[in-house]
Amino acid sequence: MPSQTAFEQEVARLIVDSLNLEDVAPEEIEPEDALFREGLGLDSIDALELALAISRAYGVQIRSDDENNREIFASLRALSAHIEANRATS
Amino acid sequence: MTDTPRVTRPLIADTPAPLARIGDRAISRAAFLADAQALAARLPQAGAAFNLCQDRYHFAVAFAAILLRGQINLLPPNRGSTTLAEIASQYPDAPALVDGPDAEIAVPVLRVSARGEAGEATGPMPEIPADQTAILAFSSGSTGTPTVHARSWDALHAVTRQALECFELVDGSGPTLVGTVPPQHMYGLESTLLYALLGNAALLAGRPFYPGDVRAALTECAPAILVTTPFHLNACLRAGLEWPTPERILCATAPLDPETAGQAERVFGCRLDEIYGCTEAGAIATRRTTRESDWTAYPGVQLHRNDDGLACAQGPQHPEAVPLPDHIEVRDSRHFRMEGRLTDQLNIAGKRASLADLNRRLNAIPGVLDGVFIPPDTDKVAHGVNRLAALVVAPNRGEAEIQAALAECMDPLFLPRPLVRVEHLPRSATGKLPRQVLLDLLAYHAQCA
Repeated sequence: MPSQTAFEQEVARLIVDSLNLEDVAPEEIEPEDALFREGLGLDSIDALELALAISRAYGVQIRSDDENNREIFASLRALSAHIEANRATS
Repeated sequence: MTDTPRVTRPLIADTPAPLARIGDRAISRAAFLADAQALAARLPQAGAAFNLCQDRYHFAVAFAAILLRGQINLLPPNRGSTTLAEIASQYPDAPALVDGPDAEIAVPVLRVSARGEAGEATGPMPEIPADQTAILAFSSGSTGTPTVHARSWDALHAVTRQALECFELVDGSGPTLVGTVPPQHMYGLESTLLYALLGNAALLAGRPFYPGDVRAALTECAPAILVTTPFHLNACLRAGLEWPTPERILCATAPLDPETAGQAERVFGCRLDEIYGCTEAGAIATRRTTRESDWTAYPGVQLHRNDDGLACAQGPQHPEAVPLPDHIEVRDSRHFRMEGRLTDQLNIAGKRASLADLNRRLNAIPGVLDGVFIPPDTDKVAHGVNRLAALVVAPNRGEAEIQAALAECMDPLFLPRPLVRVEHLPRSATGKLPRQVLLDLLAYHAQCA
């Protein structure tokens, strides 16, 4: 079972907090599992909520016309990698 | 018997604005018509067709092509396979016009890919018979069975004329309608597609979703009108971005509070107008939320209270008075106050459904012995969106199986979160399920989880 990196742990916490996923523990999110529909069963409203949280926490604007949008939200691992690659360097 | 000529209305108004924008390309009315005529020629003989296109330009081309062939646009409430199969059983010859990966539809599929590149139609603008049924909009009815709402082309013309007058879209600058709402629902259909077809405005093909998308679209499409919902408007305001100034914001699907409206007018630097509508009557009224709490009926629409005490609306688009599905206080024939939705109607992020219908669908799943949806507390103001919960008695079905069956017949926004499996529901002696008892049971299971 692949384990979460330190940054993935941080993003997992952000997902659980911003979406009020009361019955999910951040450390239980499998890094490579699907976040949407299968897996955690998230939908478009969650994507919007999550995008707001990511924007506030990391200054990264999610755009749906980004060709990689589907891949960005594919898994905790993909999302964390996208944030790390695009976050505002402080 | 004398032959009276059939009354017709134009398919497209001859206005200066382009009909659409696809990215940075403006699509003229003549180029749009060429696309619509080409698609109309490809449609099979049928009485109706599903219009499932997601791109707003594709949807518009499909909409016009279906009308040109004298057929009806079927607009389902969601894209679940069970939902589509139910409607398809009543319109067995109807194909589905699609533009995305809709693989699981059990009806013949016709793909729409028009991009305004088929040349320009010449000759006069086509006319559509006024009494032709243009759309059948399906909604989950309060009686627990899906209901269908028909609109003639004349009725769509009438409501659009009223709105164009209210929102200064008859002449004006020819703005682009930047819509965060899908075109399949009445509000999106009226205020993005029909304003462009019949007014001096262009529709934006894309559907900006994230605040970053909305900002980019407003910047690229100036002058623009933002057509949105309280849900999306809130997300934009919470994003903390710098915004370009649109000409106007239109907002509908749920009442907006005056504070949010005021914040939106300050942050976006333009006026915000709300539209009141319902599936039964379509859009009938508007208000500038920062200045007035009462609604003013569209020009030509009148309100009255019927013999049963229900508020009714009637305008040229309504063959007869339509009872409104809300608690409404009629001030006079043109003004009213809305006190709240009737309780059976749920509204999650602007999407509506009937609680009775959701419960019926839950209990129709094989292996579900009993089950009930529990609406969220409306007074519990959390950020984001409150979801439905469900308690289900299904000893031989897993949660994932039940969720998958529900996903086939309802919008994903209504899928319960959480779905808790219990041994039996706490029914009272009369079979009722008191809300507080259900909430207590949910809370108990949340603690045990």
